[in-house]
Amino acid sequence: MEAVVSFEEFSYSYPTREDVLVDIDFQVHRGEVLGVIGPNGAGKSTLCRCLNGLIPHFYGGRIRGKVIVAGLDTQEHSTAELSMKVGLLFQDPIEQLSGVALTVEEEVGFGLSMLGYPKEVIGERVAEAIERVGLKGLEGRSPYELSGGQQQRLALATVLAMRPEVIALDEPTALLDPIGKYEVFGVLRELASEGSTLMVVEHEIEELAYIADRILLLHGGRILSIDESKRVLSEVSRLKEIGVDPPSVTELTYLLEREVGVALGEYPTTLPEAVRLYGEVLRS
Amino acid sequence: MGVVRRVLLDKRVLTGDSIIHRLDPRPKFFFFLWISVLAYVFYDYVLTALFLLVILALAAAAGILRRILLVLAVIVLPGFAFAIPILSVLFPWNETLMFKLHILGFELPLYYEGFTWGLSWPLKIAVCVSSALLFYLTTEPGELIALLFKLRLPYKFIYMVTITLQLIPLLLDEIQTIYQAQLSRGLRTKANPVKRIWNFLALVIPLTLSSLMKVQTRAIALESRGFSAPVRKTCLYDIRLRAGDHLFFSAMIAVTLLLAYLYLLYGFSPIVHLKFYYVAG
Amino acid sequence: MTEREATAPAARILAVVMIPMIAALNYVGGVLVELTKAPIWGDTWATMLGTLISGLWVGAVGGFLYNIIMAFTVWGLPAWVWGTANIVVALITWICIRMGWDDLRRPWTLIPAFILFGPIYTVYTTMVSILIFGGGPLWKPLPAAIYAAVLKSTGNFWLANYVQNLSTEIPDKWISYIISLLIVSRVPRRFILVRR
Ligand SMILES: Nc1ncnc2c1ncn2[C@@H]1O[C@H](COP(=O)(O)OP(=O)(O)O)[C@@H](O)[C@H]1O
Ligand SMILES: [Mg+2]
Repeated sequence: MEAVVSFEEFSYSYPTREDVLVDIDFQVHRGEVLGVIGPNGAGKSTLCRCLNGLIPHFYGGRIRGKVIVAGLDTQEHSTAELSMKVGLLFQDPIEQLSGVALTVEEEVGFGLSMLGYPKEVIGERVAEAIERVGLKGLEGRSPYELSGGQQQRLALATVLAMRPEVIALDEPTALLDPIGKYEVFGVLRELASEGSTLMVVEHEIEELAYIADRILLLHGGRILSIDESKRVLSEVSRLKEIGVDPPSVTELTYLLEREVGVALGEYPTTLPEAVRLYGEVLRS
Repeated sequence: MGVVRRVLLDKRVLTGDSIIHRLDPRPKFFFFLWISVLAYVFYDYVLTALFLLVILALAAAAGILRRILLVLAVIVLPGFAFAIPILSVLFPWNETLMFKLHILGFELPLYYEGFTWGLSWPLKIAVCVSSALLFYLTTEPGELIALLFKLRLPYKFIYMVTITLQLIPLLLDEIQTIYQAQLSRGLRTKANPVKRIWNFLALVIPLTLSSLMKVQTRAIALESRGFSAPVRKTCLYDIRLRAGDHLFFSAMIAVTLLLAYLYLLYGFSPIVHLKFYYVAG
Repeated sequence: MTEREATAPAARILAVVMIPMIAALNYVGGVLVELTKAPIWGDTWATMLGTLISGLWVGAVGGFLYNIIMAFTVWGLPAWVWGTANIVVALITWICIRMGWDDLRRPWTLIPAFILFGPIYTVYTTMVSILIFGGGPLWKPLPAAIYAAVLKSTGNFWLANYVQNLSTEIPDKWISYIISLLIVSRVPRRFILVRR
């Protein structure tokens, strides 16, 4: 499988903090959704900052190894150059606005205008991106007059309009209310089913279990495991040890097995899966 | 908040539709430059007052006369109030006695030279202030960006202007929040001057820290969207010169010719024939 | 491990945002002065602060940009000339950093800074206010009274303007300088790009 993102023996220290990432080595393949989980301070955000060269260009620090994104070494290419290849989405939608666009439409077109695309192309791509995140009808609004969920979808549209090869999302729903979370995950599920390449950092592990093909578990700057979602999420005791909550259905099954002695044979990680497994058990 | 400071904020809610609003930003911008320069070329309070009247007439057509008068009342009117009386009496180049004022047994001689100086300069400034406001308040932010693009200014400059204009309301909102928080922590607004400086600090330090955070995140946001990519940026806004704009330009040219003729004939003070005092002399 | 600093393009783009922030903070400083009634003008402190944090160029351009924007929106065209005064403010601040005239714990180090910001800077603003704005009295009672008094006793137009401007610039620039030094002492090191 073709690797879109590739960390090679990568270690990193901030100027003011040592060994935030240590011996990171993994790939994100084309069309794959990679979930990233880990407790606070594990280095998840730092990992995202490496993708478009914010590390090292903005943060400085010490580096060993390489990060290659769509064939480009992030140390040798500027963040602006990488903006075509990788889109980054952060927690706070407001922080991602350009601050110079007056309407939703202009905000989405901003990146393309910075790259000098002709106006007609910008118009088409903007319309398409707005459509995909479901903000149609709000083109003329000010970005500051949107709800949190709408703002985060706007931020996602600004990324989609650039047609990057991979999108990294750093806890995109952490600051949103339940409706906002629901809206954003709706778009993410669609993107995942369309075959986009995504790297998703999320605390909402239930939602992640739906969309992630594989999951990377990060702790103290090191990769603890990277494997199929179901495998990683089934290691309930290990997850709980480092302070990551597994999906409730997985934990329920785990507790039933350990404390009641009822074993299902496997751990479900999503609700439909649990319904199927428990259904079989209860019927027999 | 003062009238003057509020002007930059009014932009957020201000959208008008008038002949002036519909003009292309270019004729409006050149009108602003043109009439401000004229105010300095001539030293003639009648002519300057005429310039001011023209601007105010256009402001009335744009429906922003009241707003401009308010600003003038705050930042130009006091100019007359202080300058005219003081300079009429004390201007060093005074020689033509107008009349003597008797107050409280004192006899104050008022002179023409100082009087006209104190009248002319605030008028000049009134012309400059009101023409700037006329341009700014009738030009949509998008048009402003398009104008700057058309003037072929470097894109970094264009975006610095735009970012400033958008930051101001954001920071003011933030000040409101900080101010409320400090009030509830016991900040007293009625205090002696030294205490007031401490109050200023109590507001300005949190504001600065959060602003510096914003600088970092905003820079990252811009660069993540290709800001410094070495290509010519696309302007997302269109502006077009129409018949009305050409008419406006033609009128400016005609008036320029007329004024040039007057200048050649009578000099810098064609109507009231003032003498200019080189203050160095 | 290879050691890296933030790269030059990143520093340039930080400047592109820092400059507008200085301009906006100068503006907002004026609003804060109205709110707190602090006895200063309050629209050059951010120029000083910007210079202390990001160096001469960023501070100077930020201060200049503030006046350019004010000139083209509210104050009128000739007011752009005050932008040059803001550049002078940045320059003086920068000289003070270089010379070490910026240690609040040793107040005597501030004396040369006070001289630069007081009598010397005022020469420049006096030139601007006479040549560009006619050199009338300021529109505040106290400076105007000082102006009238000097004019009456000496008949010297320049001197009247100079003394009047001193009476406002000294408190404003001295206090602003102290304020910006105080703020900088609270700013986390990672934001400060100027080496001292
Ligand atoms: N800009 C920075 N400078 C120095 N240290 C940082 C910076 N950002 C994060 N860190 C530190 O790096 C570690 C990892 O942080 P982060 O990547 O934000 O973790 P996570 O996103 O998993 O919560 C933390 O210990 C944090 O304190
Ligand atoms: Mg994080």
